[in-house]
This record gives sequence, structure tokens and C-alpha cells, in this order.
Amino acid sequence: MNIEQLVLTVLTYGCVYAVMTVSLNLQYARGGMINFGTVAYFAAGAYAYAIFTQEAPSGLDQYAFGFDAPWWVGFLAAGVASLLFAVITGWPTLRLRGEYLALTTFAFAEVFHSFLLNERRIGNGSVGLSNINRPDFSAIGLDDKYALAAAAALLLLLTALLSRRLLASPYGRAIDAIRDDEIAAETVGKDIKRMRFEVFLLSAVPIGFAGALYAMITTLVSPYLFTAEVTFFVWIALVLGGEHTIKGVVIGTLALVTFQEVVRSFHFETVRAAEIAASVEHVLTGAIFIMILRWQPFDRIKKKEAAIKKKEAAA
Amino acid sequence: MTDDILVVDKLTKQFGGLRAVGGESGLSFKVKRGTLVGLIGPNGAGKSTTFNLISGILPPSSGSVSLNSKDLSNIRTSDIAAHGLGRTFQTPRAFPSLTVLENVMVGAESLGERLIPVFSGAWRGTEGELGTKAAEMLAKVGLADRLNETVSNLSGGELRMLEVARQLVRDPEILLLDEPTAGVDPSLQGKLSSILVDLRKEGRTLIVVEHNLHFLLRIADTVIVLQNGELLAQGTPQEIKNDQRVIAAYLGDEYAA
Repeated sequence: MNIEQLVLTVLTYGCVYAVMTVSLNLQYARGGMINFGTVAYFAAGAYAYAIFTQEAPSGLDQYAFGFDAPWWVGFLAAGVASLLFAVITGWPTLRLRGEYLALTTFAFAEVFHSFLLNERRIGNGSVGLSNINRPDFSAIGLDDKYALAAAAALLLLLTALLSRRLLASPYGRAIDAIRDDEIAAETVGKDIKRMRFEVFLLSAVPIGFAGALYAMITTLVSPYLFTAEVTFFVWIALVLGGEHTIKGVVIGTLALVTFQEVVRSFHFETVRAAEIAASVEHVLTGAIFIMILRWQPFDRIKKKEAAIKKKEAAA
Repeated sequence: MTDDILVVDKLTKQFGGLRAVGGESGLSFKVKRGTLVGLIGPNGAGKSTTFNLISGILPPSSGSVSLNSKDLSNIRTSDIAAHGLGRTFQTPRAFPSLTVLENVMVGAESLGERLIPVFSGAWRGTEGELGTKAAEMLAKVGLADRLNETVSNLSGGELRMLEVARQLVRDPEILLLDEPTAGVDPSLQGKLSSILVDLRKEGRTLIVVEHNLHFLLRIADTVIVLQNGELLAQGTPQEIKNDQRVIAAYLGDEYAA
């Protein structure tokens, strides 16, 4: 097992996924909106980056657009693409609540997935787009794998800081109130439609950026990379880390990615053994998930800490 | 500006086949600026529904409500609130994930609820003042020493007082209170009535739904009596006390002279 490689992989993918869980934390744990279409915003960002930075089609290429733009244009386009997708999906659906919103966002993501799979002019259909450009990291004297890990960590840090700034302000207080009781929030003048929409849009932008970064890391975008499994993965990570705190969801995501990468880094002599290991990984992830939901260890730690603090305050 | 702050005109509300408010001809009444109006009636008379119609939580089936001569039809609850109308609920609605103090602070319109001031940090300057004001309002309703507790620690009566404080911090022109004394400690009831009288003296208009007539008739300027969604009587507390129709509605026909 190559420890350095493992740490780098965990850090890179962990931070990319953690950007999504931090955004989901804003959307769901604080904003009260269940978005089961997370992967679509991620894919929108990744494809936008790929399309903006790739060369114009030539020869046998079936895709129709390629703007050969510098990486930062593609990166910004990724945020804008995700934002636009959030406008399109959020505007008609945000009047829905709870599981109805979950189903609708899930359906939007599936439609988008199907679109990418079948429409060749945009994303080259099921083949996807490959050889995606990376920024030239040699200019800052870093090897690609270190630079990408650092970029992922930086994106996560910025997302977490912006999210904290929003949630620690009266805005966070107001969206908590809206989540708790919409009618009461309306009677104190809170414009729930505006605030819910803003939170939905704001949290989509970092997911788009994460998609662009993901495209740089894999240098490939294809519909098979952006399935509902990504959505479920970040939701599991969100629940694992305990909702509500940014620190919690980041730790939850990193723990889940570490677990998967450790399992994957084992070497197997036979194909059969590798297959079994792959299945066991899924079973174990599920089992851990159920155990955490059953015993809620993180909530208990938090409650214990709160009780100790209370005692100290009383003494 | 007219003398009537609130005009309810031929208002009706139909739930399925049942007409909850308005009866045959619709409910109409006017409320004079700066008065304390009691809204009474037997259970099911449509008092809370009337509040819901005025505050925009329910759309009326027909008729209209206007506040300061502005028609409130098709205006959202949050905008009606921004026009200076505050209300509390029959079953208190607090925000459980916020502390007592935050529950009151969230009542005020803060600069920090707009994205640009949030990210520029411009809201920080206003937050201290808001906190002080919220704490003052909580002290007014007898919750001064509960500021940092969670609302789950409060009793039903305390939650009502919390709702009152949450509305006061918004400085509403007209305040609708739905059964403010229900479940409230008798010692606090005296405090509540002096708060209401003070608010009236400040020039605010109050409409109070109340079953505790002893409490209400002492402080009200005018009383409106509803029965089966229709206006049964409107007058001064003295007139209402002696109105045979009101006595019959409340106590039964045999008590009416």
C-alpha cells in the first residue's frame, strides 16, 4: 500500500466531495430543502469546464462545441452552468416541500443524465469527453497531483468559509426560522420564497466548481461518472458526519472517502477476490451507515460536551 | 390618512361546503386607529380564521381587507407583515432551533438578511442594537433571565409571551393577538394587560381575541362579537355586557332577559 498515494487520493477526492456535502449542509440541514439531484449540478460544472477548455471539433469528433478557452474561463463557466441549472430546476420546484422536492430534483438529475448519455453534440454522448486540459501547474513548480490536492483543499476551505459567513449572520437565523416554521416566519416578514431560492442557488455554485475540479483530476467526463451513486455518496457522508455543523460534514466525508480508498488500495491475487472485496465494501458502507443512524455516536459526544459545559457554567 | 386603520369588507371564507366566516352577506367591520379592539365569540365563531384572513395566511373566498387604505388581496403574508401588521397564534409558534433571544431577534427585519450585506459584513454594526432591543422586549414580557435557553424549556404561557416580544421588536402599527392570556400565569396577566394598554397609548392599534372576558372588557375600547362567522354585535364593553343577543350566544337563551 502506497501511503503517500493514498493520502493524496483521499485528500483530493475527499475535498471535492466535501465541497458538495458542505453545500448540501447549507441546502438541507439549514435551508430544509432535500436535493436528491446533487450529481446533476456536479456534472453540469464538469461538462461546462470540459466544453469551454477543449479544442473545437475536428475530423471525426461528434461534439459540436469546443472553445479552447483558458482553464479559469472554464472554471468560471462551471460555476455559471451549475447556477443556471439551479435556476432552471429551482424556480419551478421550490414551492414543493420535503420528499416531493427530493423526488423532483432526483427526476431532474435523471433527465439530465439521460440527456448527456444520448445527446452527442453537447457531451459526446456515452463516450464522454476525454483529454481534458489541466491548468499548467509547472508554472508554480508543483507536480499535478499535489497541485490538484491543494486546489481541492482550497476550494473546500473557501466553500466552508462562505457557508459559515452566511450561516453565522442574521441570514442563517432567518433560514433556520423558515425551516422551523414557515408560517410564523412569514408573519415576521421573512420572504421565504426569495430566501429559499437564494440558498438553493448559492449552494449550487460550489458544486459546479467542484465538478470542474473533478474534470481536471480525471481528465475525462462521461455520463457513467455522474450517476445517482454520487448523490447518494454525498448524502451518506452528510448523515455520517452529523448534519448542522460544517466541521462534522467535512469529517464525515473524509472518513467515508478514506474508508473506500483503503479498501480499494489492497492488492488482490485473483479477480474473484477483488470482486468479493468490491461487494464487501458496499455492504460495509451500508452496515456502518445503519450503525451510525442507530446509535448516533456523534450526537452523543456533542450532548456529553454540552452537559459538561452546562455543569461548568453552573459551578 | 383615514381614521380607520383596518377595513374588513364583506369578507367570506368557505372550507369545502362550510362557510367559516361571513355567513350570508360577508363579514364587515372597521377598526379605528389607536384603539384596542376585543374580538370575542363562542368556539367556532371564526375568530382565528378572521385573523388568518387578515394576515394573509388564508386567502379569502370573497371580500377584501384593507390596511391603511391599501387593499391586501393578493399580497403575501410577509409583505402584509412588512406593511406593519403583526400577529400571534392561538397555538404559539416558536422557532425550536433558535434560542429565546434569537427567536425575538429574528422578528426584526435585519440588514443581514440580504446577501450583499452578509458578505460585505455591513450587518455587524446593527446586530448589537437589535440584541439590546430584543432583550428589552423580553424583559417587558417577563423573560429577562431566559435569553439563552432553548424554547423547549418554556411553558405554554411563556411561549405566548415570547411571541408577543417577537412581534414588539418589529414595531408593528397594528397587532393581532390570538388568546394572549391562555395558559399565562395570573401574575403575568396583569403585566400583559398593562403592556397592551401601554402599546395602545403609544398609538398602536390592537385586536385581541380572548376568552377571558374579565381581562378583555377592562382594557378594550370596542368589542366585536362574532357568532357562526357573522357579526353579532359591535360596541363598547358596557354595551356588549348588556346586549341580550351576546348573553344569549354565550350563556344560552334562558339567561337573556
